[in-house]
Amino acid sequence: MSGTVQEPGAAKAAPGPIVAGGMLFAVGALLFAQALALAGERGYAPSGPGLAPVIVTGLWVLVSLGYLAESIRNRAVPTEGGGSWRTPLLLLAALIVYALVLKYTVTGYVLATAAFVLVTARTLSTRPVREVVVRDLAVAVGLSVGIYLVFTRLLGIVLPAGVLPL
Amino acid sequence: MSSLSSLLDGFASVLSPQNLLYAAIGVTIGTLVGVLPGIGPALTIALLLPVSLQLDDPTGTLIMFAGIYYGAMYGGSTTSILLNTPGESASVATSIEGYQMARRGRARAALATAAIGSFVAATISTVLLAFVAKPMADLAVTFRASDYFALAVLAMVTVTAMVGASLPRGLMSLTFGLFLGLVGIDSLTGQARFTFGVPELLDGVDVVTVIVGLFAIGETLYIASRLKDLPAKVAPLEPVKGGFAWLSRQDWARSWPAWLRGTLFGFPFGALPSGGAEIPTFLSYTVEKRRSKHQGEWGKGAIEGVAGPEAANNASFSGVLVPLLTLGIPTSATAAVMLAAFGYFDLSPGPQLFEKSPDLVWALIASLFVGNVMLLALNLPLIRVWVKVLQIPRPLLYTGILVFATLGVYAVSGSVVDVLIAYAIGVLAMFMRRFDFPIAPVILGLILGPMMETQFRRALLLSDGDLSVFVTRPLTVTLLGLAVVALALPHLPKVWARLRGGDAQRLSFAEDD
Repeated sequence: MSGTVQEPGAAKAAPGPIVAGGMLFAVGALLFAQALALAGERGYAPSGPGLAPVIVTGLWVLVSLGYLAESIRNRAVPTEGGGSWRTPLLLLAALIVYALVLKYTVTGYVLATAAFVLVTARTLSTRPVREVVVRDLAVAVGLSVGIYLVFTRLLGIVLPAGVLPL
Repeated sequence: MSSLSSLLDGFASVLSPQNLLYAAIGVTIGTLVGVLPGIGPALTIALLLPVSLQLDDPTGTLIMFAGIYYGAMYGGSTTSILLNTPGESASVATSIEGYQMARRGRARAALATAAIGSFVAATISTVLLAFVAKPMADLAVTFRASDYFALAVLAMVTVTAMVGASLPRGLMSLTFGLFLGLVGIDSLTGQARFTFGVPELLDGVDVVTVIVGLFAIGETLYIASRLKDLPAKVAPLEPVKGGFAWLSRQDWARSWPAWLRGTLFGFPFGALPSGGAEIPTFLSYTVEKRRSKHQGEWGKGAIEGVAGPEAANNASFSGVLVPLLTLGIPTSATAAVMLAAFGYFDLSPGPQLFEKSPDLVWALIASLFVGNVMLLALNLPLIRVWVKVLQIPRPLLYTGILVFATLGVYAVSGSVVDVLIAYAIGVLAMFMRRFDFPIAPVILGLILGPMMETQFRRALLLSDGDLSVFVTRPLTVTLLGLAVVALALPHLPKVWARLRGGDAQRLSFAEDD
């Protein structure tokens, strides 16, 4: 088994640590090349800015090789169950949409946060919707309005007001 | 001025209504986040940084942060005893016997010995801190750049070597942190490094962004990948039986020596750059188990197994403050965030702090005594409140963590790029948890890396580029030598066992967050 780089999605397969090690090594090598380029411009003088990046990324490459070796040595050891990747992906999508909506639309903090809370709580919940919908709605509204008022009125931190007349 | 009179001045300052309020807020929030799984003191302090900057009161803020650190330790013991899910990794040792006690209807005794032991240990160790700090700071005045470089190396190496399952993984985490520390404009020459053409990266990656990504986003995504494995059952509190403070005469007799021994482990291990509370808590657990006259009870709820580690846990915090305040060297993730908090207020911990801001230092130390009295009151009589907190539905808890995480990064930077960087670090952190990489070394690398590079280059500038400065100064050489020893130390049991032909586990500890 070699440390070749595979698709990121393959990380959930059994040889996960080996794939992770391969990717770490690949990223480390890229960064090391960049550090060498910088040092080429600015020199390797210990008192200059070029040396530390070379050392750190060089260490990265070495350590990732060490990790790869460890993973290959332990490849027979079954790792614990991979778990589901659907929920984390959904959460991540919700987070990114949330951040973009906050910044680039006129929705405003309160509406965006309330919607985010509802979606996320639903994603993480294992109970039927009707059992928790009232509770989730109450938390969504309470949390978003509460945070908005405390931060903007009491702490003087600016949050996007958006379309709501707050 | 002697330490004692300085400390008395500190008390005078803490006992003002405003500072008392800060301490009360700190210990309450600390207990809350200690009780809640998924959120720890490092994350909480990072999220509160933008808020505290608005308050513009360094002393009050740092008193609050110290309260959070301490409170999280008290709260963490509650979770590990009642839920068997250590809220903080330093409470892992406590949960072993503590949860067994709770299952056998002795939850109150376990909680009481943890809280009172924490109080005893914290009080003793804060006295030690008060008397060690000033002489240490006076000594630290003589430290030069090369010594600081060596100290930073020592702190990083020990923490990395002691934490986590394997050396390559610990080093990988550390290297990642060091790399993050390099991103941005070099402070001495203005050279941009690893900014990949993104203007937001010129200022470097903010510690708040990294901590939010590593702890809040990473933890939540990881939990989301294994929703079915979440533990749920909270052990019930039994009705109050007799005894003083829920402890019978025998409980007291068995607890107090364990408290004292735990304190003796906790303080020095915290003070040495050895990575916070995990080592002393497990040492204390092992020693108590070995010394106990009640061998049959171990594994079924031996009270010493709660009393010792909890005391060690809290004593280590005062210990951690010694290098943090006198040298500006953080030895745990939370200490690293506190160091960043000092930086936000343009204060730099180290020997100068005792000369420039003695009021702040002594008020902070005095506040530890006051905070612990508050915590004792908060955790024993009000235990039912915290049991209620434990019952917050998990989906809402983690949703709330994500909302506050996003808010924290957005409020401190106002930039959506920083928020996205935090999410990206969160994805990495999810994989780190999945593959068992420790988290704390990332933070220490991020904080200590730039410090190390600056001191290294400063030392060379002072010596006109002569590298021998690192091998001719005895203190520097000693510290660097200790770093090498620390790297080898966790492997000694294995080597020893191999020499004797046996088989032994490597010394390793859960990590701090």
